[in-house]
Amino acid sequence: MENNKVKVILGVIGADCHAVGNKILNYAFTSAGFEVVNLGVLVPQEEFVNAAIETDAKAILVASLYGHGEIDCRGLRERCRESGLGDILLYVGGNLVVGKTDFTEVHKKFIEMGYDRVYEPGILPDQVVIDLKNDLGL
Amino acid sequence: MELKNKKWTHDHFYGVREEILKHWPTGADVNFEEAVKYHETIPARKHFAKRLVKAKKNGETLTQPRAGVALLDEHINLLNFLRTEGEADLLPTTIDSYTRQNQYENCANAIEESMKAGRSLLNGFPAVNHGVHGVRKLVESVDGPLQVRHGTPDARLLTEITLAGGFTSYEGGGISYNIPYAKSVSLEKTIYDWQYNDRLVGIYAEHGIEINREPFGPLTGTLVPPCISHAVAIIEGILAAEQGVKNITLGYGQCGNLFQDVAAIKALEQLAEEYLVKHGYSDCVLTTVFHQWMGGFPQDEAKAFAVISWGAAAAALAKATKVIVKTPHEALGIPTKEANAMGLRATKQLINMLADQPFPMTAEVDIEVEMIKAETRCILDKVFELGNGDFASGSVRAFEAGVLDVPFAPSQYSLNKILPARDNNGAVRLFDVGNLPFTQDIIDFHKAKIDARAKEEGRKASFQMVIDDIYAISKGRLVGRPNK
Repeated sequence: MENNKVKVILGVIGADCHAVGNKILNYAFTSAGFEVVNLGVLVPQEEFVNAAIETDAKAILVASLYGHGEIDCRGLRERCRESGLGDILLYVGGNLVVGKTDFTEVHKKFIEMGYDRVYEPGILPDQVVIDLKNDLGL
Repeated sequence: MELKNKKWTHDHFYGVREEILKHWPTGADVNFEEAVKYHETIPARKHFAKRLVKAKKNGETLTQPRAGVALLDEHINLLNFLRTEGEADLLPTTIDSYTRQNQYENCANAIEESMKAGRSLLNGFPAVNHGVHGVRKLVESVDGPLQVRHGTPDARLLTEITLAGGFTSYEGGGISYNIPYAKSVSLEKTIYDWQYNDRLVGIYAEHGIEINREPFGPLTGTLVPPCISHAVAIIEGILAAEQGVKNITLGYGQCGNLFQDVAAIKALEQLAEEYLVKHGYSDCVLTTVFHQWMGGFPQDEAKAFAVISWGAAAAALAKATKVIVKTPHEALGIPTKEANAMGLRATKQLINMLADQPFPMTAEVDIEVEMIKAETRCILDKVFELGNGDFASGSVRAFEAGVLDVPFAPSQYSLNKILPARDNNGAVRLFDVGNLPFTQDIIDFHKAKIDARAKEEGRKASFQMVIDDIYAISKGRLVGRPNK
């Protein structure tokens, strides 16, 4: 059977094991018609990249809830380029740094790292689905 | 290796120990005999196990935060602040997430970066990297009982270093630090590795040094029904007791319905006492810990304080020995020390105001206590049967069969078949009981409760209802009702 669904890679990066939001996002994107390749929690950068290559995914959706996001997320864009994924859509969201921080600074920091969209805590999955459909022209 | 709930022999323990202490250079500084002497100098007021026993005797509920940063001096300042400004009775040291995955090299880099940046880039204190000397400086610079809190599947080196450093309490367990904290580590391995930690605490006990042990009660912290967390807590209590642990604190995470929460602590105390004695461990001191709401929080700090205060009230009315406190920054990640202290003070105020108001054993509480006990017994007795009379191997088989199952767990070793949802009064029930070994009466009870809510809301129970419940508190209510 031909499968025309757009594939997206989903996972929680680094040494982070927050699983609840991951399961909800999986459900939300699947319900919205995407084929979700869910890598779950504790995902190293290279696993995101390899999964995107293997499945010809159109976007990588990275979550980080535990505060180490700043260290864990650095260099993922470069790794995508080196692997031939070029400007594949990179989204990131969660509690990205240690401590309550002004989100504009966090946003700027992650945009500079090469992420296309950066989500603050409390954003609902529906908004991310709408953004992804827009960015992919669906 | 055949996993059995059996006290490790001297040769077995010391054979493994030799390897463990080589995992990172700081392991070389661990000297057990010298550590025992060090513990003998720790005064009673800084002794976690003794403070809990005193609180239990006096009917107190003690407050304890979570906290940890990368650098030693900053960590000392943080804990002293929480002690003085937050009036915390008990102090933690939360361990960072790289240490929890045994990534000590990453810790070393992050410690360097934190020094350069002038702020902590780690979400906790990397105790293995700081070593026995660093930990002792901490213990000597802070005037309060100290506990290690983490989430480490293989914590053996961390246990050696922090206990030799003078910590008098240690959180975790082979199930509770695997299923919510790992993806692909087998339960055989974590239960086995945690026998090591418990045996080490047991050996300290045999040398006259009492160290408190606390299995992690709330598991995934997401709509976990009391019977699930109670079954795990009691099993881990039994596994610890077999290795010689004498001072045990069992925990439960607030669900939000007061009757269910008060009943949960009562049922946990009664059942744990009964099962420990029944299985031959009658000389353990048992205390309880109540965790304030572990799920999603409102971003608004005033609303967050309401959630914190409700947890404080439930802990006090349930007469838990201690309460683990949340902060008004919970929705946004790791709190500042000021926010942490505010959560502690709000909790302390509630506890003090409720100290003289015993909560009556109403018919509603009675029913909940009986239900929780009946459900937990079904699970525990089936685990014991699956292990042919052994709770260690029985737990492994029980997770394979879904007899033990934890909602929203990241581990592939949890079947993830059960689905919880709230009933019309906000108590957590199961709308899918999965393979839990319940009697028909219990299954019917859950079904009736969920059906009543579904009818009230004019919709069928579904995964959407579960999601609505997961978001409900962060959006301002307990039960995730559909928008009208």
